[in-house]
Amino acid sequence: MPRITGLAVQPRLSLGGRAKFLAYLAGGAAFLAWSANALELSGGELFRSLPVIGRYLGRMIPPDWSALDGLWGPTLDTICIALWGTVIASAIGLPLGILAAKNLNSSRILRSSALTILNVLRSVSELIWAIFFVSAVGLGPFPGALALGVNFGGILGRLYAEAIENVDPKPLEALRATGANRVQTILFAVMPQVLPQIVSYNLYWFEVGVRSATVLGMIGAGGIGFELVTTIRLYDFRQTSAILLVILGLVTLIDQASALLRSSIVK
Amino acid sequence: MNMNVSTTGQVIGVTSAEKPPIVSLVNVSKTYVRGKLVALTDVSFDVGHGEFVVILGPSGAGKSTMLRCINRLAEPTGGQIFLRGNEITNAPRSLRKARQEIGMVFQQFNLVTRLSVMMNVLSGRLSYRSTWRSLFYSFTREDRAIALECLEMVALGHKAFQRADTLSGGEQQRVAIARALAQKPKLILADEPVASLDPKIARQVLDYLKDVSQRLGISVICNLHQIDFAREYAERVIGLSQGKLIFDGPPGALTDDILNQIYGSRMESAVE
Amino acid sequence: MSSQYAAAVDQGLAREASWRHRRMAVRLLVMAGFAIVLWLSASRIHLSLMNIILGVPNMADFFGRMVPPDFSNLMSLAPPTIETVQIAAWGTVIAVVASAPLALLAAHNTSPHPVIYFVTRLFLNLLRSINELIYALLLVSAVGLGPFPGVLAIALHATGMLAKFVAEEIEHVNRGPVEALQAAGAGRMQIILFGIMPQVLPAVVGYILYRFDVSIRSATVLGLVGAGGLGFALITSMKMFKYHETATCILVIILLIWAADAISSHLQKKIL
Repeated sequence: MPRITGLAVQPRLSLGGRAKFLAYLAGGAAFLAWSANALELSGGELFRSLPVIGRYLGRMIPPDWSALDGLWGPTLDTICIALWGTVIASAIGLPLGILAAKNLNSSRILRSSALTILNVLRSVSELIWAIFFVSAVGLGPFPGALALGVNFGGILGRLYAEAIENVDPKPLEALRATGANRVQTILFAVMPQVLPQIVSYNLYWFEVGVRSATVLGMIGAGGIGFELVTTIRLYDFRQTSAILLVILGLVTLIDQASALLRSSIVK
Repeated sequence: MNMNVSTTGQVIGVTSAEKPPIVSLVNVSKTYVRGKLVALTDVSFDVGHGEFVVILGPSGAGKSTMLRCINRLAEPTGGQIFLRGNEITNAPRSLRKARQEIGMVFQQFNLVTRLSVMMNVLSGRLSYRSTWRSLFYSFTREDRAIALECLEMVALGHKAFQRADTLSGGEQQRVAIARALAQKPKLILADEPVASLDPKIARQVLDYLKDVSQRLGISVICNLHQIDFAREYAERVIGLSQGKLIFDGPPGALTDDILNQIYGSRMESAVE
Repeated sequence: MSSQYAAAVDQGLAREASWRHRRMAVRLLVMAGFAIVLWLSASRIHLSLMNIILGVPNMADFFGRMVPPDFSNLMSLAPPTIETVQIAAWGTVIAVVASAPLALLAAHNTSPHPVIYFVTRLFLNLLRSINELIYALLLVSAVGLGPFPGVLAIALHATGMLAKFVAEEIEHVNRGPVEALQAAGAGRMQIILFGIMPQVLPAVVGYILYRFDVSIRSATVLGLVGAGGLGFALITSMKMFKYHETATCILVIILLIWAADAISSHLQKKIL
């Protein structure tokens, strides 16, 4: 690539740096080639499956809108799952996030314990959590909300901790100098700074939560997912596509609303 | 008995057995990195009731460190500090009480920009309120009256409900002064309070600081690196150079010789 | 308290009270509304603390059956782990290849026609809104069990997310270099390659790494519907009631995701 001055061009790597980069690239390519073989992926396989998928798609068109009858309830359930999931996630994430933040907590043990808990919460997929909670409280949307809450709690907690660590430390120093104790300092110097970000994160993950909640129905945890899976199992593909389009509409709506609210928070 | 006399002949800062000095530093030292970096060496002085003391010195002389040792934002590694006769250097329990009596004003104002001016000043009252009450961001009527009064003292009462970041630099520093005043302190520490402000606004802020000090009888220890501000406002100047106290006296006694000692080769930065 | 400011303070207190009451009323209204919504949805999905407490013995039973984890066949989990990573890798690669043209079509400044822009955006939204698991379910139905539908499922969802991200980055590009190239007479493709791509590259590469990390996480559960990887081992062990092995699977999944996170964030920091 020619070097053009005055334009945005990447800085040139040193010879050693470039060699390392090429080595990584070669390694990655080798891994991919090996994987393709192991997974039996190939262009041929793809071509052979395209007509199958095409036929499948054909069986989904035109969408059978009768599937929408009785979908109102499960849709509302899905939203409720996402709503309470986000609320529980906040309730779990905030205290743990505060404990995990470097600038608020000098005890290393406390910090790494909090961080470990958060990591475990987010690493176990919400589906596995859902299975766990279904065994505890039975089928339905309730375990779905708990599963979402616990999983997202780990995710939000880490995001909160990061946001807290990036806070301007100067007001913190000033408040400590007035004699305020630790809790008061957090309330008056940290919270006002991170609140917009926290709200923004919550809105974003609520949106993600709606998408996840649609899937939780697959293991009986309520919501649109259950209806969807039923249509697939009954080979009622035209109803499947109708429900998929409803999901699309729902997610798009919430996406726009969330983006609108988030941009108004950035004042 | 020590008597400090201002230029107008007014006796201020009388220290005696009946009335202990507001703050006393005795051989205070501060080192970092296990003794390899020396910030302060054997600094000793007293500040009396209502005195306006200016600490003069170039940047890196240890002025900030010394101020922070007084309200223990930094811990001295040697020596003792007394607040109204009580030792505060090795007393963890009285820290909150000690800090309550010491207000601090910072070079970059250190306000919470998203909060209102009123809330910023109210946060100076936090040491008087329980944690439970603060959970609800609640203050007493007395607190709010004090906060408004402090804002009136710096002529910003009319901007009480604006967000702090809508104010100019000089105004924000005045809010910071109001916050310090809200603590009802006996002592105010000002760490380069006007370094980020242009000279005219700087003088305004220093005027307010000097004014409240005189009217309310609050001692002020003010770090400055500008010599002419020191001359204009100080009743007493303490010169710090490389962590050592090398001058303690009225501004009139600041000869060029002494200034050279304090500043060494960095005279230009001090004359603005 | 000096009487000089008493009048102003009283006036300020009155103003402050009405301001505060107004803000509190608004806040209480919003909170009440939110609380009502929460309460309604809680009763809808039968959410209750009582049920959680009642369910604790079940959870304890669940745990009891899983602990201690059976580490004897840890090595047998190695192939599914590698398979999971491979599925994520290929899914991401396909997504990158497919996203490049789609992102260009979905960005205001590079899309050839507003209708194409609109349709592409809609298509990407469709891809994004459907979870990988649903894709996997449909594809397994179509092409059978195994990792292949898993790869496609990840690719489809990731394409939607990646293309939208890149499109937004392209729209926020700095116009300067682009105009310079236009003035120099460069063709459309050249402008994209030399003016736009270098600007968005760091953020895009960072997002690709993030996406790969997320894909690994998704790939671990795709096995639940038969699309290969660790999820398959997990669901198999559950169906055979070998809960101790299930626990091992979960631990391996946690470790894998940890490792992927660590590598991903390390690489992301290096390119920023």
